[in-house]
Amino acid sequence: MKTAAELKCGEKVTINDINIQHPSAKRLLEVGFTPGQEIELVNKSVFNDPIAISLRGTVIALRKSDADCIIIS
Amino acid sequence: MTLNSSSCNLFITLAGSPNSGKTTLFNYLSGKNYKTVNYPGSTVDSALANLQRKFNLNALLLDSPGIISLNPESTDEEIAINSLYKHAKLGKPDLVIVTVDASQLSRHLYLVKQIVNANFNVVIALTMVDILNQKGLDIDENKLSKIIHCKVFKVDSRSGKGVQKLLNYVNNIKNKLKNNHLQSSKSSGTNTTEEVLRIYNEIEVIEEQTIFELNENKNIDLTEANKQLNLITNKSLKSKCNQIDARTAKIDKILLHKTWGLLFFFLIMAFTFTSIFWFAQPIMDFISFIFQVLSTEMLILVGNNWLGMFLANGIINGVGSVAVFIPQILILFLILGFLEDSGYLARGAMLIDRPLSKIGLNGKSFVPMLSGFACAIPAMMAARTIPNRRERMLTIFILPLLSCSARLPVYTLLLAFLFPGNKAWIAGLVLASIYLLSTISSVLVAAIINKLNNKIIKDEDNSSFILELPAYRRPKLKVVAINMWHSGKLYIQKAGPVILVLSIFIWFFTTFPNIDPQVNEKNITQEQVNRLKNSERLATSYAADLGKIIQPVMTPLGLDWRVGVSLIAAFAAREVFVSSMTLIFKVTDSHSSLMDSMIGAMRNAKIGNTEQKLFTPASIIGIIIFFMFALQCLATVAVSRKETGSWRIPILQLLIFSSLAYVLSFIAVNGLRILGMS
Ligand SMILES: Nc1nc2c(ncn2[C@@H]2O[C@H](COP(=O)(O)OP(=O)(O)O)[C@@H](O)[C@H]2O)c(=O)[nH]1
Ligand SMILES: [Mg+2]
Repeated sequence: MKTAAELKCGEKVTINDINIQHPSAKRLLEVGFTPGQEIELVNKSVFNDPIAISLRGTVIALRKSDADCIIIS
Repeated sequence: MTLNSSSCNLFITLAGSPNSGKTTLFNYLSGKNYKTVNYPGSTVDSALANLQRKFNLNALLLDSPGIISLNPESTDEEIAINSLYKHAKLGKPDLVIVTVDASQLSRHLYLVKQIVNANFNVVIALTMVDILNQKGLDIDENKLSKIIHCKVFKVDSRSGKGVQKLLNYVNNIKNKLKNNHLQSSKSSGTNTTEEVLRIYNEIEVIEEQTIFELNENKNIDLTEANKQLNLITNKSLKSKCNQIDARTAKIDKILLHKTWGLLFFFLIMAFTFTSIFWFAQPIMDFISFIFQVLSTEMLILVGNNWLGMFLANGIINGVGSVAVFIPQILILFLILGFLEDSGYLARGAMLIDRPLSKIGLNGKSFVPMLSGFACAIPAMMAARTIPNRRERMLTIFILPLLSCSARLPVYTLLLAFLFPGNKAWIAGLVLASIYLLSTISSVLVAAIINKLNNKIIKDEDNSSFILELPAYRRPKLKVVAINMWHSGKLYIQKAGPVILVLSIFIWFFTTFPNIDPQVNEKNITQEQVNRLKNSERLATSYAADLGKIIQPVMTPLGLDWRVGVSLIAAFAAREVFVSSMTLIFKVTDSHSSLMDSMIGAMRNAKIGNTEQKLFTPASIIGIIIFFMFALQCLATVAVSRKETGSWRIPILQLLIFSSLAYVLSFIAVNGLRILGMS
């Protein structure tokens, strides 16, 4: 199971599922990370964490620990 | 401002996601010039104003902080959502105008859906249509209206295009709005994860039905175009919708770059703090000169009696010694405003999240900490954007350690003493290192308290960092300048009266009861007589009596009661220290400027009746260290109480920081003496 935390820069994928057990899941859903959406990792911060993901026409920065609940395959 | 809230008046709240154009619309409708901020959640306070007359609609308008959904994550969202349901003074709004960024339709419609489901009367202002058009897309607002059952208007509030149409519609239905208040319950606005998914599924369908590609041939039938695009270009439309701003992506490649990003971060911070000193200096010299002239003239005009002394020393010098520092404070606000408005703050927060999370803070502590360099009070309120309570409390805890602008006057005076005249450039460097040190010490304190874990601040689960990085924008000079002016005015209004009142108090206590002391006037000049009288008057004053009591506390720091009295006065507001010193050391010699004569008086000050100098490099460094750590601001204590919800944290802050200040200052002074510095 691969999650968005493991994406490489410039990698474009489609969200497969969201792990709703994860405490950040609800906020991520509300921000628009829903299954079927296409996302792209556009940037990583200096320390490789947080990461910046483009989604629905905007860019969201989130920690890898948050991105862990976005399942991409 | 008189707000007319009679019953025939409509109460309209502006709601919407961060950066969807609420404040711009608010400013257009109210004719005000509030700041348009680019950092999510940074409109901490909401603004209220009447609609401008020219719109022919009697209405009260409320601008509110941006929210992503009706499920609050952080305290600022909670406050915004609560005031949407029920404003503290005005109750439930008759109408909610939701601003929706057309270029991010799907994300912003989510909030619209929630607000409609929560039974509000809703009209949608569709903003940023021009950005959508740039992507080669357009939106059918009539169709959108039909599908989501509330009226939609395309507006551009920068030019006002489309706003009148929206207002005409509101005008037509205003009676209905007044009488048609549906009961809205909070639960209808909150959703389970299944519901979130369902809403987004609906939105996706809406998006497909209303957004269409702009054709070269503009006359094409819209419905026909829609049919076509649903069949053929669905995929490309979708990816066009999801495009991000190309310019922003390019800039981010640099500003979020592994090495360049970090370099720029430090350059921006360094520029901010050094410019406070460099740019302000000439203006400060000028203001200082003006007040000195005023004070001297006043003494000549009224004469060397109690009234003259009261006006010249008590009022003009007292106020002047603080007015001198207004340029520095304005420059700080100006730069912070530019950083906010450009969109850099969210990037700064992202860059710094990782290191801050190591010491129990959050990337979202970045903006409160940066504001802490201006003033701890708004900074503590800005900490509301941090969702995790423990991280928020820890941020609030360390904010008083950051070098706020009220400390600038104190440092400037003391550094000017240490590095006079041609060595002034060193003072700039040392000031920069004071800022750096105060940052480091706040980080250390955070790390220590984080280690002590549950003892001081209770632990809480799930720390997260989810933040939208908004598109970069060219900051608007006018808006930033007006905002600087507002912040500066607020500072003067807040600090001004305190300083004036305390100046008068201190003048009184250092002048009475022995206002005209007898001195031996034989064989000495008039100037020497005045000087003798001044010191005799002070030595027999009420302040001196009080000073004898606190003298034992001051001696270990190499200081005497005169500095002690100033330190006590500084608890009302730190900058009072300077005006208090000015009064206590009787700055009346006719030097070229207030600052020069102040420093001259300090150089001549002796401890008690000895020949030992009171202010030496060691004792000055001691005072600087004291100011770096001591929590000497009662207003901060009060706000800390309010924001943390109990007395625990403010009392701990007061005790820990003030004793730390005393101990460290003691170590510094005596350590330096042992090392041979006087
Ligand atoms: N291109 C474009 N920019 C807009 C429009 N409306 C507002 N803006 C800009 O969008 C930015 C965010 O607006 P603001 O009112 O601060 O959003 P708020 O966070 O909802 O209060 C500002 O820089 C505005 O100048 C619009 O219709 N088109
Ligand atoms: Mg705003």
